[in-house]
Amino acid sequence: MKDDMMYSAAKTLSRREFLCTTCLVSTGLFLPSFRPIWAAQPAPKSAGEFGELNATDPGGIDLYLEHNDLLIGGKPGRAIAINGSIPGPVIRMQEGKEALIRVHNRLDESTSIHWHGILLPFNMDGVPGISFPGIPAGETFTYRYPIRQNGTYWYHSHTGLQEQLGHYGQLIIEPAEPDPVRYDVEHSIVLSDWTFEKPHRVLRKLKTMEGYYNFQRPTLANIDDQMKATGMSLSEVLEKRLAWNRMRMDPTDIADVTGATYTYLMNGKAAHENPTFIAKPGQRVRLRIVNASTMTFYDVRIPGLPMTVVQADGQNIKPVETDEFRISVAETYDVIVTLPDSRAYTLFAETMDRSGYARGTLAPRQGMSADVPEQRRRPMLTMADMGMMMHDEMQGMNGEDHEGMHHDMPHHTSGDGHGQELPTTNLVQRIKHGPDQHGPAGITMAQTAYRRLDYPGAGLGEDGRRVLTYSRLRALEEPYGRRPPTRQFDLHLTGNMHKYIWGFDGKKWSQSDMIRFQYGERLRINMINDTMMSHPIHLHGMWMDLYVGAEDYGDNPRKHTVIVQPAELLTVDITADAPGQWAFHCHLLYHMEAGMFRTVAVVRSLEGGPINVKS
Amino acid sequence: MSSLNPRPRKMVVLAMLLAFAAPAWAQNESDMPSTADRPMHGESAAQHDESAPPAPEFEPAIPEGMTIEEVFNFAESPPPSNFPEPLPDDKLYAFTLFEQLEYRVATDDKTADHLGWEAQGWIGGDFNKFWWKNEGEAAFDGPDEGGTETDLLYSRLITPFWDFQVGAQYANEWREGNYEDRWSGVIALQGLAPYKFELDNSLYISEDGDITFVIEAEYDLRITQRLVLQPRAEMGFAFQDIPERSLGAGMTDVKLDLRLRYEIKRGFAPYFGVRSQFLVGETDNIAEASGEDSDQLFFLAGFRFAF
Repeated sequence: MKDDMMYSAAKTLSRREFLCTTCLVSTGLFLPSFRPIWAAQPAPKSAGEFGELNATDPGGIDLYLEHNDLLIGGKPGRAIAINGSIPGPVIRMQEGKEALIRVHNRLDESTSIHWHGILLPFNMDGVPGISFPGIPAGETFTYRYPIRQNGTYWYHSHTGLQEQLGHYGQLIIEPAEPDPVRYDVEHSIVLSDWTFEKPHRVLRKLKTMEGYYNFQRPTLANIDDQMKATGMSLSEVLEKRLAWNRMRMDPTDIADVTGATYTYLMNGKAAHENPTFIAKPGQRVRLRIVNASTMTFYDVRIPGLPMTVVQADGQNIKPVETDEFRISVAETYDVIVTLPDSRAYTLFAETMDRSGYARGTLAPRQGMSADVPEQRRRPMLTMADMGMMMHDEMQGMNGEDHEGMHHDMPHHTSGDGHGQELPTTNLVQRIKHGPDQHGPAGITMAQTAYRRLDYPGAGLGEDGRRVLTYSRLRALEEPYGRRPPTRQFDLHLTGNMHKYIWGFDGKKWSQSDMIRFQYGERLRINMINDTMMSHPIHLHGMWMDLYVGAEDYGDNPRKHTVIVQPAELLTVDITADAPGQWAFHCHLLYHMEAGMFRTVAVVRSLEGGPINVKS
Repeated sequence: MSSLNPRPRKMVVLAMLLAFAAPAWAQNESDMPSTADRPMHGESAAQHDESAPPAPEFEPAIPEGMTIEEVFNFAESPPPSNFPEPLPDDKLYAFTLFEQLEYRVATDDKTADHLGWEAQGWIGGDFNKFWWKNEGEAAFDGPDEGGTETDLLYSRLITPFWDFQVGAQYANEWREGNYEDRWSGVIALQGLAPYKFELDNSLYISEDGDITFVIEAEYDLRITQRLVLQPRAEMGFAFQDIPERSLGAGMTDVKLDLRLRYEIKRGFAPYFGVRSQFLVGETDNIAEASGEDSDQLFFLAGFRFAF
């Protein structure tokens, strides 16, 4: 299944074979990037051996970025290591203190570190081209900023596709006040995806050959399987497939990059390496889970153990007990679990498209393991993902139907009457797509977008387990500054999956103007996903208060990354309290690189024309 | 905000400048490292500007050594020249696809076996591309004969699934020492039709003013994740009689192919298949009158590959 034959050829060579000169010459011909110096060096060390540093300790910390050969899932790969490992070290900070981090770039290319979810001066945000010029090869950049929040976050490169090569790690900020979350022991869990292919080749394949990595497509051979799984008759299955073909869409297009090339990692370890997390029975164990993947959504569960979710995106939430939750790229969740006995429990993170999984074990001591659950059948998109709701679903929406009410509002303008407060509860349930189909860069599948806060996502919640949805998230305490927004605009998430062009409102970043926020304003963005994929949308520098349908406006949780599902209408309110320029983008790395990215400028006033990003 | 007239606006800016400048200096002199002790900049500004939103409750994070005014000036300007672009979303890509590279075994005695190929590729961005298509055949045994067609096109993505293409075609044919070639202008529409049919429709106007039209349609029927049956049809039309090319007005010829490929990789698949090609209508009559075989069946084997 792995496509990069070059690497697989190399990894089957034993050390002795490698030393033989003829092999050296021949591999040298085929593998120009492999340094022959390897043969004389000790075997590369394994990924996942990372430490912990405290960046608010006096003197600060040093991070060293290097191209390292590491064993990933037991096979040698060329990674970007931070202090010798992928993931990089867990960085701890203390709220109220100042973080001091010297980043030494020992790569042969420019790099950067973005502190994901952290509120800081714009020039410390680490996005080359927006917050600073980047860190040139061989140079050191010093990050220094006050810590004004707490919780579980992460950090990663914002340069090119470096994140795919292991350039990420977890960030934990200890609260200044006593932590409302009680726990006896804590573990960092960094989920990620790894490929032995060069990331630029992955992007090129996505750009030139549709569905390159999807080996779970509808075929003649799996008609029977689909009939059995769905209970549909042969003619119903064929009818359904014809309907998808007529639309030129693939209902199995759940993930662009799959287990066909990816090795899925938990703390840098492949499933068979079984990273183990120690806890004694009865202890309250806090798992700080971050999805540092480039393209992979995970469904996380611990068979036999209920999880209490206490934090989302670093922000405390009212505890919610669940059996499984979906974590998108760039989200974090903190959960509390307690071992009832001294058995081992499997921490199972299955990819959304079911093409693989990461896995670890929670146990009272090393060397234990529990059953690894069987993988589920891959999900298929449904008509609901095109905005076609079932009749009862529509009724569940209290007859709210404001189609066309505000969908043709002009984008990026002052919108509603100035100073007029927008409603904070009972927002419109669905809106019809306007006449603008966004040109050739967007295939608008959903003609109606609607609230999907109760929908856990494709393939989740169908097997009797409790699953987390956004509708269950409530801020633990009302965050400061919860006032109703006075301006709003609609933002369409658009894409042409056939040509792999991604953007907003049919435009890539390079074709776009900056989105302007007025400093101090409360702003509402209604995100409307026209595409058939889920997109984790991330705003730098400011919180997004996620509308979850709460009765009390103060209950809406703050998020740095929100999943917008196919055909979903998702609303976030933002306090534009961070002057400067910021990135706003889909956190699927290859979507971002294909143009699903905007520069946000938090400006004094919205007068004058918008600024072109490239002018 | 747009209702604000320019004069009060200027005063507001002035007021904001004054409001911010003082604390900023004070801060520089006392060398305060943290923003935590800064006064509420935004609040003071809001007192002067009734139309401005209320100050944020969270005091702004300002880079060390910069005033909030400087930050606003930065925010309202294009990126500095020493900043790289945050992402190269308008990068150029190149792609080459050999859909057919095959040996065709004739089933009748009159026709020679031959090598056939059909390839296309492009270089360009998401919307504008240089697109080339090349196909041809050359006899493997028997008389030295063959022909090629090369289309060189500017291609523009006009809808999500369709490229509009315009350019030129060079075609040549050789047969027992005779060599003929011609240039034509091309207009083409290539893309994915509903039900996932790959279509390529090309209209040619030759240098002699003759108009011909070719439709190519193919469909990938997936048997397994890697085994694909591809039916393909190609139909030629002439808008007038073209005696020197032995074509009669109307539909001229049809090629029906069936290929079964196995995708060892997405970009590399060996296959075998069958082709039935025949002449139609007036063109068929012309061929029969000159004693040529108008109906041919080939067995094929080859490779489909992309890079």
